[in-house]
Amino acid sequence: MLMNRVAARDGVAFARLFELHAPVALGLLDRILGRRGEAEEVLQEAFLQVWMQADRYDEARSTPRGWILMLARSRALDRLRRRDSSRRREEAAGEEAAAEAAIFPLGTERLEHQERQRLVSSALGQLSPEQRRCIELAFFEGLTHTQIAERLEAPLGTVKSRILLGMNKLRQALSPSS
Amino acid sequence: MSTPHSTRFEELLPAYALGALDGDDLRELEEHLAGGCEECRPQLALWEGDLEELAATIEPVQPSEVTRTRVLRLAGAGGAAAPAPAPLPATVRTPAWMKIAALLLLALAVWGLAGQARMAREVHALAEERDRLSRQVETLSQEVGRIRSESQRAELALSVLAAPGVQSVALAGLGPTPQAAGRTYVNPRSGDALFYAFGLPTLPEDKTYELWFFAGGKPVAAGTFGVDPRGTGSVRVERRIDPAQIQAWAVTIEPAGGLPQPSGAVVLKG
Repeated sequence: MLMNRVAARDGVAFARLFELHAPVALGLLDRILGRRGEAEEVLQEAFLQVWMQADRYDEARSTPRGWILMLARSRALDRLRRRDSSRRREEAAGEEAAAEAAIFPLGTERLEHQERQRLVSSALGQLSPEQRRCIELAFFEGLTHTQIAERLEAPLGTVKSRILLGMNKLRQALSPSS
Repeated sequence: MSTPHSTRFEELLPAYALGALDGDDLRELEEHLAGGCEECRPQLALWEGDLEELAATIEPVQPSEVTRTRVLRLAGAGGAAAPAPAPLPATVRTPAWMKIAALLLLALAVWGLAGQARMAREVHALAEERDRLSRQVETLSQEVGRIRSESQRAELALSVLAAPGVQSVALAGLGPTPQAAGRTYVNPRSGDALFYAFGLPTLPEDKTYELWFFAGGKPVAAGTFGVDPRGTGSVRVERRIDPAQIQAWAVTIEPAGGLPQPSGAVVLKG
């Protein structure tokens, strides 16, 4: 298994791991950070962490891709939180205008040939724009319930409900029986 | 003790997996999970799996060759799979080695600051020691001056007392101080004279004892003096004296600083 070889300090295996997962990880980082240079920097940090901590990977908990993506996301959100908050609000205001039109860059033609990704795209299509927006703010910007409520000027209970309902819809769509 | 499982905790799990939980919800769920809930743990893993799939649907972006090279090189995993290192573009900011160097510099700065603080404490201690030694030197200088002065007085006294033909006159107590006594010593060759008093009471600050000698029937001021707690005092007569012309000696109590003519009570006479 690739991760076991990486944990055993196999450089070739690590290079292969990078080829397999770095593009998606960079796509996620670019989506979160909105700056390619910074995204590539965080990608380097994330993969260095993968190299150093590969022995901590637990295959029972996640796939290698899932582990790498969550690790990269965590780093990106840390980076995001350190940014100047006022500038971040300005950027968010600009994003709000385009939110309805392009909330998730998902469900593209490129993904349609892969069944699993088609399922995700389909599931996302079942969410209301409000549910998608709440999940997006939590997932891509690391905001909490309270922060999302403030950002959207929506009641806290409403935000909680949107996330719960939205996640359940995703679950249903992604379940094997669907 | 773990809180019992409930549907409320199940409903918090998706937001927890998203990282959106906060406040009491977060605290309570984390306490519950820390108790090792058998039902919540697998459900949480499923939610995290869903999110991983969500993340994986993002449009892939090919990393730059520089990033790829740097990652593989930094990890020491170059081998045959990694191309030769390329120069860094401007977009790649803050390389890891630079961060390590910055950390080292920071550590050095902290160490330097600690050293400066240590040095400041040492400088302060040395300054205190210097001040203490300066005070000691000053005290010793005063002591040396005092000893030198006493030595000069002793030399003078010796030159008077040991002079051949020295003439001495005893003075007796009068009035309120009958127990007091005094004695003059005059070197007839040099004209130097000394006077010693014994058993005189101490005086208030505005008073002093004044020595007189009588020549030609008139009193001549010979110097003022005080006495120590034992009643002992002395004075060196500042003017040259011809003992042949002195008819008598006396000590009076006068205002501080003395007077050119006696005005107070006579306490010694001889």
